[in-house]
Amino acid sequence: MSASVRLLRRQMQGQLRTTEWRALLIATWIAITLTTLLSLLGDRLERGLIRESASVLGADMVLSSQRPIQDLRRQQAADAGLNSTSVIQFPSMISAGDDMMLSSVRIVQSPYPLRGQIQTRPAQETDIPEPGHAWVEARVMSQLGLSIGDKIELGYTELIVNAELISSPDRGSGFRSFSPQILVNEADLDASGILAPGSRAEFRLLLSGSTEQVNSFTLFLNESLGDEERLFTLQSDQPMGGGALASALNYLKLTSLITLLLSALTIFLSLKRFSQSQHLRCALLLSLGMTQRSMVMLYLMQLLLAWAVLALIGSLTGIALEQMVSRWLDELLPQSLPAPALWRYFTGAGVGLALLVLLGLPPTLGLSKVSVSALFRDEDIRTERRGLVLQLICALLLLAVLLSFLEAPIAALILLLFLLIGGAVLGSIAQFCLKHLATPLSKRLLLGRLLVMRLRQQRQWHRLQSAVAILLLTLLSVVWVSRTDLLEDWQAQIPDDTPNYFVVNIQPWQTEGLQSFLDNANVSAEFFPMVRGRITTLNGAPIHAQMTPEQLEHNTLNRELNLSWSNHAPTHNTMVEGQWWQGETTEPLISVEAEMAEILGLKLGDVLGFDLAGLEVEAQIANLRGVEWTSFQPNFYVIFDEATLNQFPATYITSFRLAQEQQELANQLIREFPSLTLIDIDQMLLQLSQWLTRLGDSSALILALSLICGSMLMLLTLQQALDQRRYEGALLQTLGANAKQTQHLDLLELMLLGALCGLMAAIIAEGVIALLYIHLLDIAPQLHLGLWLALPLASFAFFTVSGALLRKRLTLDQCYRLLRAH
Amino acid sequence: MTLLTPDGFILEAQNVAKSFPAQEQRLELFSALSLQVKPGESLAIIGRSGAGKSTLLSLLAGLDQPSAGHIKIAGQDLSSMDDAQRAAFRSQYISFIFQSFHLLPELSALDNVRLPLEIRGDEQAEQQALKWLKEVGLEKRVHHYPSQLSGGEQQRVAIARAFVTSPQLLFADEPTGNLDDETGQQIIEQLFTLNAEHKTTLILITHDPDLASRCQRCVTLNNGHLTERSL
Repeated sequence: MSASVRLLRRQMQGQLRTTEWRALLIATWIAITLTTLLSLLGDRLERGLIRESASVLGADMVLSSQRPIQDLRRQQAADAGLNSTSVIQFPSMISAGDDMMLSSVRIVQSPYPLRGQIQTRPAQETDIPEPGHAWVEARVMSQLGLSIGDKIELGYTELIVNAELISSPDRGSGFRSFSPQILVNEADLDASGILAPGSRAEFRLLLSGSTEQVNSFTLFLNESLGDEERLFTLQSDQPMGGGALASALNYLKLTSLITLLLSALTIFLSLKRFSQSQHLRCALLLSLGMTQRSMVMLYLMQLLLAWAVLALIGSLTGIALEQMVSRWLDELLPQSLPAPALWRYFTGAGVGLALLVLLGLPPTLGLSKVSVSALFRDEDIRTERRGLVLQLICALLLLAVLLSFLEAPIAALILLLFLLIGGAVLGSIAQFCLKHLATPLSKRLLLGRLLVMRLRQQRQWHRLQSAVAILLLTLLSVVWVSRTDLLEDWQAQIPDDTPNYFVVNIQPWQTEGLQSFLDNANVSAEFFPMVRGRITTLNGAPIHAQMTPEQLEHNTLNRELNLSWSNHAPTHNTMVEGQWWQGETTEPLISVEAEMAEILGLKLGDVLGFDLAGLEVEAQIANLRGVEWTSFQPNFYVIFDEATLNQFPATYITSFRLAQEQQELANQLIREFPSLTLIDIDQMLLQLSQWLTRLGDSSALILALSLICGSMLMLLTLQQALDQRRYEGALLQTLGANAKQTQHLDLLELMLLGALCGLMAAIIAEGVIALLYIHLLDIAPQLHLGLWLALPLASFAFFTVSGALLRKRLTLDQCYRLLRAH
Repeated sequence: MTLLTPDGFILEAQNVAKSFPAQEQRLELFSALSLQVKPGESLAIIGRSGAGKSTLLSLLAGLDQPSAGHIKIAGQDLSSMDDAQRAAFRSQYISFIFQSFHLLPELSALDNVRLPLEIRGDEQAEQQALKWLKEVGLEKRVHHYPSQLSGGEQQRVAIARAFVTSPQLLFADEPTGNLDDETGQQIIEQLFTLNAEHKTTLILITHDPDLASRCQRCVTLNNGHLTERSL
């Protein structure tokens, strides 16, 4: 074995016992693990759900509309040489015996899909279910207790489940792509009686052809796209499905930025301390005949060797964690995730290498500047402050690597700046508070004045420690609370009589029967008609000409609205301005939601023009209403007088509350009115809470890694600080203080720092959570007493215990020796 | 084979100056030092703290460049060499013994001693190292680590490490500074015995006059001047 290899091996073995080398290894391991986990998970999610691909769209392009797509479109596609097929997708209650569940039904016709494949178990010979049959996803099978051959009821028709749907493209857009899905032949649609004019459904025309045909038809469609139509192509920016998931993934990646930054900072400080501790050693190696080049190579080899081992361990840990997280998500995801690209397995190792090389290169090259003469002078050697340019270049390169990994560079850069500035501000505030906290103590304690002096001397260290501790504790608390408490607190403040069921797609002729069904069960419900329409004019002039770009982006102006009519004000709305019309009106009148009116600058007496299925209707604003959108009541931006709107085809909507013991009524309702769509809000909230919990779990996992990294960083700086204090302590002991007093001085400083960090974290976390309550959930903020207790205590304990463990008590003899060595 | 300057010296310093940048002007440690050392000679450089003994040693050993003047070792002018050449030259001709021993803590006594040979690619490294550890009386401690050795033993390992490469010049910086008197005496005995046996040129820095008196020559560094002291 050559000298270099032996030296390398021994050197690594010896350095494994040092805090800086351990911190370096752990931080690198975490960075590799985390990047592997996110790279794999991100790729699988994107491949499976988010990224546009023919196999996700089920076609080369998809025309989607909230209204039936005109035959003309299909004819135009045929003229352009494209293949096409129609899909209708809507939510519906599916029942089997006494069980029922809300599912997303896809009514399809052959050929389907145009691109990609449907996988079923058992495999089927036909591309879509035969009439009278349905293919359903595993979640439906398990919740309804179905086996192959069992029957399900869809509206008025019964279908035999002859296959389990394993995966299928064209899952639809938005949240519906996550609902459990059922595939049904279009021949069964009429018999089900579910879809009537005005029913809520997404109508899609799937199209495929050569690239040229698709491109030219895309151009043609873009020019003639109707208000209600949307076009999805392989190149479109807007994802067909998984938008929420893409956001969640970005959120996880941004969370990971904090961990990566902490790892980078830990690695940087470890390497800095490590290289400083190696100066004498390097001088010695040079004195023994080693060339500067060999010595730098020795240290680079050491870093590379450490990287190789960590790349293996970190990648394996990352893969294991990815398996765990995708298993958590699996039950919530519509279909199992595809395997990631092979190179994604190496992302973590790549980022780890970038971290070690870019952070390690400047201090390692700095080692070559060490002079053997340092060994004669026995003094603290400092290499010259050369290489600043190299450090800067390396830091920028590293930043580029990290940002490109996160794939959202702007957001990451903003977060980075926020963290740096926020950290600096928090650190300064903490240091300021610490100074003022200690001043009163200085008169009461024996070494109080020393404590104040030390707090002044150590201010930079305190700023760094407290910034890291406060940021970490705050983030952990917010994630922890939002994981479960946020939704629970929101649910808890909902009044007991808040409706928990919506019924939509009620046809006019069904209202009477449904009303008496509910009356018989003593369930009160108000019915509201719904007509779809779009706001086109204000006081006779086109709306676009009168509104600012910001106003035009308002939710009510860029889509079709659900309009209603009523001759009396809804009981759950409040009158803000004006009066409700009495009885029959002579001219068309409308009631407008007050917030919308304020944003769009609408006043009483203004006349709004509407396009209702091609007919223009104008109506004057008679009053403004206050609406509680989270009341789970049918709410509308615009309500007409009855006479103006009742001539248009409408469906009805209602909501009501069923107590726990009345749940059976929901089943009865579906049996009696199979074509209605019953939406169970409790079930939807449950699904939402599952998502929040899983997302919370995933980010808590990432933050746990941040916590390990942050703790390493704090321990590292703590030890560095304690080393400096050893000299001071030794001096004090030789001047007459006893070991206990110097220990108390160290621990008092750490206790103050710990408790203060915890307290500040509790204040900030509570503030952030209060903002979430006010702005996100629109409820009154609540105090989380647990945080106020747990954070200061945990932080106090961490600083005190680690300080006590790291601090070694000095005997007087050791003090003399330490002072002599200085 | 010992290479010498034309005048027969192993080391020759001519009008060596060394100054450092201070706040506004340069601080001159010494301006025109000259010194000649013959092969096999032992020379002590003494002086009070801060006189510049360590700086002079750094210059003589080619670890630092003089501000002016020339230093020749084994007939070669160090000032004409670049860093890498000086390092290679040093590794061939020079060894050091330090006040603080400076052993690598994770290597055994044997590994510490054979390290300089292995760095040079010597295949006989282990045998040589064992031979030298035996010479310094540590044959039973070859596999001990520095932390398991006393201060005197550690310095003996350092002496073995210094001699194992058969240097022509040996620089020793306060070799007994970290040892008690008795151990210090034993170490000095050993150092001078080995020096005499192997005809190594020894340049020793100390502020102990007794130790200096063991050398064949002694020079005092004071106010930037070297004065030969009679022994």
